[in-house]
Amino acid sequence: MSARALQQPLSLRLTSGVFLAMWCVIAAFPILWIMVQSFKVPVDAYDSNALNVILGPETLARGHGMSLFQILIGAAMLWLTFHLARKTLPSLVHQVFDSGVQWIGWVIGVLALTIGAIVALFGVVPWLAGLLDPYLGPFGTNVIGVTTEHYKTVWVERGFFRNFQNSLIVTAGVVAISLSVGTLAGYGLARSGSKLAFWILIIALIFRALPHSVLVAGYLPVFISSSEWLAPILGENAPTLYGKPFAVIAVLVAINQPFTIWMLRSFFQNIPAELDEAARVDGCSHFQAFRRVIMPVMWPGVITTGLFSFLLAYNDFLVTSLLLDAQNQTMVPAIAGMFNRETTTTDQVVAVAAAVSITAPLFFLVMAFQRQIVSGLTAGAVKG
Amino acid sequence: MKFKIFAAFIGPSVIMMILFIAFPLFSVFKQSFYLTQPIYELMDVETCTPGFITQSCVTETQSIPKLDEHGEIITQTKFVGLQSYRNVLELERAWDALSSGNWAGFGAIDFWKALRFTLTFTLITLPLVLGAGLGIALMINNAAKSVRGPVIFVSLLPFIITPVIGALSINWLFRGDGILTAAIEWYLQRDIAMFAQAWTIEVLMMLYRVWHVAPFAAIVFYAGLQTVNQDSLESAIIDGASRWQRLKYIIIPHLMPLIVFISMIHLMDSYRVFEEIVGFSSQGHVISLQWLTYDFLVPDQAGNRSISRASASAMLTMIGIALLLVPLLRRTWRDHHGGH
Amino acid sequence: MTLKTLMAAAAVAMSSTAAFAGCAIDNTVPLKSLSAGFEAWKAVTDAMGECGSFEASLDQEFREKQPEAFAADPSLYQIGGVANSTMIPLLNAGSIRPLDDLVAKYGQNLTPNQLIRVDGKVMAIAMMVNAQHMMYRSDILDDLGIAEPTTWDEVFAAAETIQAAGVVDYPLGGTFKTGWNLGEEFVNMYLGEGGSFIGEGNMPTINNAQGVAALETMKAMTAYMDPEYLVSDSTYVQQQFQQGKIAMANLWASRAAAMDDAAESQVVGMVTMSAAPNGSAAPASSLWWDGLVFASNMSDAEAEAAFQVAMEGIDSDMVAANNDAAVWLIPGYTPGKLAAGAAATAANGAAPYPASGPMGIMHTALGNGIADYLNGAKDAETTLADIEAAYLTAAKEAGLVQ
Repeated sequence: MSARALQQPLSLRLTSGVFLAMWCVIAAFPILWIMVQSFKVPVDAYDSNALNVILGPETLARGHGMSLFQILIGAAMLWLTFHLARKTLPSLVHQVFDSGVQWIGWVIGVLALTIGAIVALFGVVPWLAGLLDPYLGPFGTNVIGVTTEHYKTVWVERGFFRNFQNSLIVTAGVVAISLSVGTLAGYGLARSGSKLAFWILIIALIFRALPHSVLVAGYLPVFISSSEWLAPILGENAPTLYGKPFAVIAVLVAINQPFTIWMLRSFFQNIPAELDEAARVDGCSHFQAFRRVIMPVMWPGVITTGLFSFLLAYNDFLVTSLLLDAQNQTMVPAIAGMFNRETTTTDQVVAVAAAVSITAPLFFLVMAFQRQIVSGLTAGAVKG
Repeated sequence: MKFKIFAAFIGPSVIMMILFIAFPLFSVFKQSFYLTQPIYELMDVETCTPGFITQSCVTETQSIPKLDEHGEIITQTKFVGLQSYRNVLELERAWDALSSGNWAGFGAIDFWKALRFTLTFTLITLPLVLGAGLGIALMINNAAKSVRGPVIFVSLLPFIITPVIGALSINWLFRGDGILTAAIEWYLQRDIAMFAQAWTIEVLMMLYRVWHVAPFAAIVFYAGLQTVNQDSLESAIIDGASRWQRLKYIIIPHLMPLIVFISMIHLMDSYRVFEEIVGFSSQGHVISLQWLTYDFLVPDQAGNRSISRASASAMLTMIGIALLLVPLLRRTWRDHHGGH
Repeated sequence: MTLKTLMAAAAVAMSSTAAFAGCAIDNTVPLKSLSAGFEAWKAVTDAMGECGSFEASLDQEFREKQPEAFAADPSLYQIGGVANSTMIPLLNAGSIRPLDDLVAKYGQNLTPNQLIRVDGKVMAIAMMVNAQHMMYRSDILDDLGIAEPTTWDEVFAAAETIQAAGVVDYPLGGTFKTGWNLGEEFVNMYLGEGGSFIGEGNMPTINNAQGVAALETMKAMTAYMDPEYLVSDSTYVQQQFQQGKIAMANLWASRAAAMDDAAESQVVGMVTMSAAPNGSAAPASSLWWDGLVFASNMSDAEAEAAFQVAMEGIDSDMVAANNDAAVWLIPGYTPGKLAAGAAATAANGAAPYPASGPMGIMHTALGNGIADYLNGAKDAETTLADIEAAYLTAAKEAGLVQ
C-alpha cells in the first residue's frame, strides 16, 4: 500500500501515542512499584507518602544508598541487558544452532544472560561505585536510599535457591511433556474431520472451564495414600505421589492439555494439508510425514504455545501448594507462605523481594521470545 | 486418517485428560448425590489444657467418631438425591424472599449472592477486555516500528506476572493509605476507604482483571492485525471509506474469529473468578461461585468439610459455564464442518 | 549484595543442611515434621534440625494435609505441630499416639502444665500459649489522663476521648478480617458474655441475649476503627500500631514483640500490654495453645527418636535464644513485660478456646456470617438465626446433627 494512503492526521497519531504511553504506565506501574518497595527498609516501603517510598530517607539514614554515578552505570547495565536479549541473543542463536536444536541455544543463552545480568547488577556495579564514588564529588554522594538486604535474606538465609531449582524442574517438565503430547494430539485433531475429533475438542473445552480447586482437592487423599493402593501393582517400591515433582508435573500437564491442543490444532490447520499429503504419496507413514514435513515448520506455533505452558507451570499456586511438601516446594507457594505466616513488616518486604525475584526470569523470557510470540500468533495459532 | 493412527496421535493426551480430569470430575459428579458421614457416638471426655501457669480440666459430652478394628473411622455413604443441590441453592428461602419482594434478603443467600457477582463480573469485564485489547492493539499497530518492540514488552507485563503477586501489588496500592488511595484522597480532598464498601471492591477487582487480561487480548489482536488484507483496505480508501468505516467493515470482521476466541477464554476464566476474592479479601462484601465451592471444600480447623455441597456447587458452576458457552460452541461446530 | 554473598548463597544451596550443634543427641533415624509456619515453629524446628536427619515442613496448608498425611500407613510425618483446634481431627481419627511411656522415659524436663491430657492419657506436648489481649499506647492514654481500660465500656470511653483529641487516625484496631479472624473476635466477645456455643445434641445455642450483646459490642468497636476493618488481619493491625495509626487493640500476644522492634516500629517502648477487657461475665478472650503430637503409624524406634528430637527442639536453650518469639510454657522462659498481657488475661479467668468438631463448623459459620450484620444488611437476631441455620446445614452434612 502506498505510504500516502496510510498517512494519518497528526492529531490522531498524537492522541494514539498519548493513550499508548498512558497504557504503558498503567501496565508497568504496579510492578515497578513493588520493585521499588523491595529495595527499601520496611519503614520506607510502606510509607503513605509516595516520595518517601521512592527516595527512601530512612533507608538512606541507615547508610544504604546509591550515588548518581551508580544509578547511571546501573541504568547502562540494564540497557545493555535489554539490548542483548532483544537483538544479539536471537541472531546469535540463529547463527550457531541448527533449527532443530535451537531451543537448546535459547536455554543456554537465556541462562547465561540471566546470570550475567545478576552478576553485573549486584556485583560489578556496587564494586565499581565503591571504588570510584569517593573521587566523584557530588556525583559520588548517596542520593537515594537503596538496600539489597532483603534480597540477601531471601536468597542467602532463606535458601530460596532450592525453591528456584524446584520451580525450574517443574516448569521444564511441564513445558516439555505438555508440548510433546500436545503437538501429536493437535496434529491428529487438525487432520481428522471425524465426529470423534470434534467431541474430543468440545469435551476438552469443557474441561478447561472446570473450577480447578475441586479437581485438586480430590487428588490429595489419593496421592498421599498412593503407596498403599499402588502396592498390588508395583510391589514394595510403590511411591508416595504426594510431594513428588513428577506427580505435580503430570497434573499440570493434564490441566493444561485442553488449551494446548486447541492452540496447536488451530495452528496445524493453517499448515496446508497438501504438504503432508505429498509426503505420504512419496511413501511416508503419518508419523514420518509429521516428523519430516511438519516438524520443521511448526516451531513458531510450538514456541508460542510453550510460552503459555511455561506461564501456567511457573505461576501455578493451587496445585503446587497442595501437592508438594516443603522439600520440593516451588517459588510461588513459598512466597505465599512468607506472606501468610505470622508476618512482621520486614517479612513482608522480604516476601516482596522474593516476588520481584521470581518476576525477573519472566522479564527475560518475554524479552527474548517476544517476536516469536507475535509471529507464532500471526501464523495462526489463534484462528479460533 | 485411519482411526488407529488417529488414536495413536491423540492417545497420550486423551489418557492424561481422562486420568487427571475426567476421573476426578466423575467422582465429583457422583459425590454430589451421595453423603458420606462418620458414625458418631456420644462420650464423656475429660480434656486438660494448659493455662499460663496451671492447667484447667473440663469434662464434656462429645461426639467421637467410631473406629473399626484397623483404627480407621467407620463411615456410611448414603444416596441423598438432589439434597446437596437443594442445600446449595436454598430455593425455598430464595423463593420466600422473592415473593415478598425482599431483594436484599434474596441477595444475602450465599449461592445467589455469588451468582449475582460472578455474572456481573463476567459480563462487565468481557466488553472491557475486548475493547481495551482492541484499542491497545490498534495503538501499537499505529506506533512507529522502532517503539513497537518495547511497547509490546511493557504491555505484556500484567499478563505474565504471577497472579497471586499481581493481585497483592494492586491491593497494596489501594489498601488503607496505599499510595494510590492517598493520591485520590489528595485530588478529591476527602477521606476514602476503597475496601470499606462492596462497590469499590467490585470495581477494583474488575479493573484488576481487565489490567491482567487485556494484554493477552491485545497481543492476539495485534497478531491478527498483521494479516489484514491490505488490498481490501486500499480499495476501501479509494472508495472513500472513513477510518471508522474501515475499522467496522474490514478490520473487525477480519478479527472476528479472534474476538470469539478471546471471548470464549475470557468467559471461562472470569466465570471461575477466585483469585481476586482471595487477593482482595473481599469475602465480607462479595463472593464468587468458585470461592463458594472452595469454602465448602477447605476443612475448618476441626477438619470438617462439606464435600457433597462443594461437589454440587462445582457442578452448578460447570452448568453455568456450559450455558454461557453455547453460542460460541455452535460456531465451532459450524467451523469444524466447514473447515474440511 | 556483593559477589561474595552470591557465592555464599550458591554454596549454601549446594551443601547439605545437616549441622550438628547445640543438640545433645546425634539422631540417625530419618524424621519429618509438619506444622504451621509462624516464628515460634521456625525456632523450634530449627532447634530440632540441629540433631540431624530431620526435615521440617512449615506449611500454610498444614491443616488440610495433616489429617490425610497422618492417617497414611506409615505416616508421612512423624512429628506434627497442632493447636487446640487442629488436634481434633487427628485425635478423632486415632492417628496420634498416647505419649505417657515416652514422657516417663524422656520427658523429665516437661512441666505438668505442658502435658495435654485427653481422658487421662497424654496426647500432646504444649509448648506455648497465645491469646488476644489489650495493647495500648501508654503515651497517648497518659497524655489524655485515661486510666488503663479494663472493660469494654471503659475502652469505648477512652476511644471517644482519643477520637476527640484527634491524636491518631483511629482509636481502635481490630482483627476483623472476614473468615477465621472475624469468627474468633465473636468467640472472644461471646465468651466474655459467658455464652456457650453448642448445646445438647450438638444444636447451636448462640441466638440469645449474650449473642446479641457480643454482636453489639463488635458493632460499637467498628465506629472507632478503620472503615476497612473487614480486610484487616493481625499483620495489618500490627502495622497500624507500628506506624502510630491506632492507639488500642485487642491483639494476639505473639504480636507483642513486633511493637518494640526498632527496625520497623515507630512506637518502640510506647505500647503497654494489659489484660483483655472484661465482658459482662469474663475476659473477652480465649486461650490457645500450640504443641507437638506424634503419629501412631510409625515404629516404636521412630517414635522414641522423634520424641527425643522434639524434646531437644523445645528445650531451655531454644527458649533462651528466642525468648520473645512467643509466650512459652517451657522451663527457662522469663516472661518479660511483653508477656504481661497474656498472663493477666489468663489470671482474670479467660476460658480456653472450646475446641471440638462442631465448634469448627460453628467458627466457620460465624466467620462468614457476621459481616452481614456489621455491614448493616441484617439485624442482630436475623444474623444469629442465619448463622445457626448455616451451622445446622453443615453439621447435618457432617453427621453431627441428626
